[in-house]
Amino acid sequence: MASKEDILKKYRSNIRIQYDMPDLSDIQAVTYPNPLLQFMNMTKSVGGNAIEVEAGRDINELIRELFPDAKEIASNLPEITIATRNPDEVGRARDLNGTDVGIIRGSFGVAENACVWIPQTMKEKAVCFISENLIILLSKSQIVNNMHEAYARLSAEANSQEQFATPHSVPLGQRIAKSFEKYGYGTFISGPSKTADIAQVLVMGAQAARSATVLLLPE
Amino acid sequence: MSTQHSKAAKQFLKNQTYAHWHDATFWAVRSKRDNMAYGLDEWEQLREKASAIKRHTITHLDEYLDQFATAAEKNGAEVHWAKDAQEFNEIVYGILKSHNVKKMVKSKSMLTEECEMNPYLEERGIEVVETDLGERIIQLKGQKPSHIVMPAIHLNHDDVGELFEEKGISNEKGNHDPTYLTYRARLSLRNEFLTADAGMTGGNFGIAETGDIVVCTNEGNADMSTSCPKLHIAAIGLEKVIPNYDCLAVFQRMLCRAGTGQPTTTYTSHFRKARPTAHHMHIILVDNGRSDWIANPEHWESLKCIRCGSCMNTCPVYRRSGGYSYSYFIPGPIGINLGMLRDPQKHSGNVSACTLCLSCQTVCPVKLNLGDQIYQWRQQLDDFGTANPQKKLMCRAMSMVYGSPGLYNLATALAHWANYIPSPIMNCGLNPWADGHKMMQFPKKPFHEIIKDIER
Amino acid sequence: MKIGLFIPCYVDAVYPEVGVATYKLLRHLGLDVVYPEKQTCCGQPMANAGFEKQAIPLAESFDDKFSGFEYIVSPSVSCTAFIRLNYPRLLNHQCESAKHCMDVVEFLHDVVKVDRRLGTFPYKVSLHNSCHGVRELGLSSPSEQHVAKYNKIKDLLELVDGIQVVEPERPDECCGFGGMFSVEESAVSAQMGRDKVERHIQTGAEYVTGPDCSCLMHMAGVAKKQGLNIQFKHVVEILAAGL
Repeated sequence: MASKEDILKKYRSNIRIQYDMPDLSDIQAVTYPNPLLQFMNMTKSVGGNAIEVEAGRDINELIRELFPDAKEIASNLPEITIATRNPDEVGRARDLNGTDVGIIRGSFGVAENACVWIPQTMKEKAVCFISENLIILLSKSQIVNNMHEAYARLSAEANSQEQFATPHSVPLGQRIAKSFEKYGYGTFISGPSKTADIAQVLVMGAQAARSATVLLLPE
Repeated sequence: MSTQHSKAAKQFLKNQTYAHWHDATFWAVRSKRDNMAYGLDEWEQLREKASAIKRHTITHLDEYLDQFATAAEKNGAEVHWAKDAQEFNEIVYGILKSHNVKKMVKSKSMLTEECEMNPYLEERGIEVVETDLGERIIQLKGQKPSHIVMPAIHLNHDDVGELFEEKGISNEKGNHDPTYLTYRARLSLRNEFLTADAGMTGGNFGIAETGDIVVCTNEGNADMSTSCPKLHIAAIGLEKVIPNYDCLAVFQRMLCRAGTGQPTTTYTSHFRKARPTAHHMHIILVDNGRSDWIANPEHWESLKCIRCGSCMNTCPVYRRSGGYSYSYFIPGPIGINLGMLRDPQKHSGNVSACTLCLSCQTVCPVKLNLGDQIYQWRQQLDDFGTANPQKKLMCRAMSMVYGSPGLYNLATALAHWANYIPSPIMNCGLNPWADGHKMMQFPKKPFHEIIKDIER
Repeated sequence: MKIGLFIPCYVDAVYPEVGVATYKLLRHLGLDVVYPEKQTCCGQPMANAGFEKQAIPLAESFDDKFSGFEYIVSPSVSCTAFIRLNYPRLLNHQCESAKHCMDVVEFLHDVVKVDRRLGTFPYKVSLHNSCHGVRELGLSSPSEQHVAKYNKIKDLLELVDGIQVVEPERPDECCGFGGMFSVEESAVSAQMGRDKVERHIQTGAEYVTGPDCSCLMHMAGVAKKQGLNIQFKHVVEILAAGL
């Protein structure tokens, strides 16, 4: 493209002085004695809910308890039996509108800011945003301290060459890691959607989920 | 000796209640940033790293841009290059036209504001819907943003309530509760997301190593804009590209802490390619002056800016004059500097809207030398032909007096006669100092006379 | 240790008592202080207005007058900062004296390391942390930064008998003087001045004190215009009070 070469050439010729990349390995980033606890506290402070789920608990039953009035439930997760819609099977993304509860899988959480890494694992990612209430299933052992560790993990996952012949023998977090590459989309979600654009009053539920609940699973 | 800014600021301050609210509101955001900074032991280390990463990246940007474009194309995105605002608007229009787009939703992008994209598209029959709530509000009101992160901050809930009633967005007249109004906006925008043909996002960062466009929002509107419509166009200025994820971690941790005092935005989204049911993703890299600015020996560091807004929040002048007082669409310390890079003749007036207190560069997460640069711009005004003639004259007079001990001694000996100038003359309006101050009393003897007595 | 005393133009003409206090205090501490004649201005007003080249002859004259002194001390953080940070650049680094120029607070705190009782001032004072002092000379930790808190001005003031030192809210927000800014953006400048004076008054202090007369001059002018009841004294006047 003519414009690309022109722009790069011009920029290059205008650089007067150059600086080296700093060493980033000595950053003393915050770590926590109990990352899971920090993650749960931060989730609460950003307006979300974090619930530790005991082993053997029926997830579907728990979700029904949390959202007894939910009519439309969207999920493509095989373990979710109460779904009334499947983001892999809808005709158009907009057909997911009116979803009361969307249930998705998170890969890992970040203690410092309650972020959960959500690679796209469904045909229509709209389910993550269009649902009135969002539920994120997360293995409670998969919590890193901070964003440096989070991004280092994503880089490592990207560099990992493993292809999984028998998917179910591999931990879920790793399985869905490859999903980011496959679909080309991933997002860190921390709590529900929010805005303070009107008179600086913080309101939960701007354009996406009005509530966000992380279910921390024993596995 | 007035400028557009000083006149506008004077007007702004006439409404004292409003002015105090504006100042308090932004100081509160600065305080929240402080809490974030004090809460991270590594904060100053992060600032140093962020600054160093940017200096390296900006001075090797051609390599990183090339790397970015290659990675993005490998992901399946189509990468466009726009040399200026006109070319950018044409590229966007071209893509939209080829997909028969009638309506496009977009998330916040100061770049599109810089290129005046919205009116360009609207003139050509494409409806553009802002989906960031603050941007949507000012779009409906026909106003420009008054802050780069909180564009509608200058409006209160009654302003918004009345606007929503007028536009049919709210259906309960007189209900100006922000929670209610936000909900009504949600319903209105939800409909827009579902019926739009295209979604446009800006980008907080472009990752050279992987070709990701990273968009940070609290509302989730960038994700809604790209999850329902079948076409995603992402546009970023050249300087948004950073090398890799290790660098991103530094900036992601600082952006929201510095800008709004939150540990993170709700959504930090990475876009590599469009979803399977959509058309392929388009990425537009925009120059529009940036390849010139890198050559500027005193001002190239303005390319480090990550558009967090914290310099505005801390600036005592911005807080007391508001975004609309500045002649450039970006206000505050970074706006003064970017405006001068954009058009020095047009925006020279902003350069005196600063006390050189240096709070801006002390707060800046990438250690951009904002105040030092404003001082530098002042030295160049004479060359631009925009030096204020009265100021020039006053400085020449001072130079003459200070350059001659004889003249200086005479001036200080006579100074106390000013004490006898009658108040009505002193305060007649020609003496701007007297507007806000009671005149000081000049002593009969200056120090250099008194010291002779003491030393004796 | 031979000390050269630099008394800036506006201290000379409007606040000579601050110059006198500085001289007396340094002498009281047993220092050999000389006041070279024919001092005028450091050039900061013109430089901040955009004509820094006009400061060059003043820098040369300064370098001449003050060569040979071990330290050059001045009761003004803005002038000191301008000299130390800009003279070497303006004179192409042919400026020995600039690096020895210190504000009286940092000089007493870091060089003399005063730790004995100074003057007597049995009043409550609100500390004004002038911007040049905070962010250019490092007189105190900037509130913007996550660094260990310190305040050299406060340390010295606490050597004064009977004094009570407090800080206002927004402890290092600018007073709004800014040189030409006070005239060019008079509305914002006066508003900033009024807001700052209000915050000082809210501490309950009877005096506002700081290391720079330009800030004090601006705030005093604003306060008097508003009929506000609070007084202003330069730090060095308080340190020397009653000596």
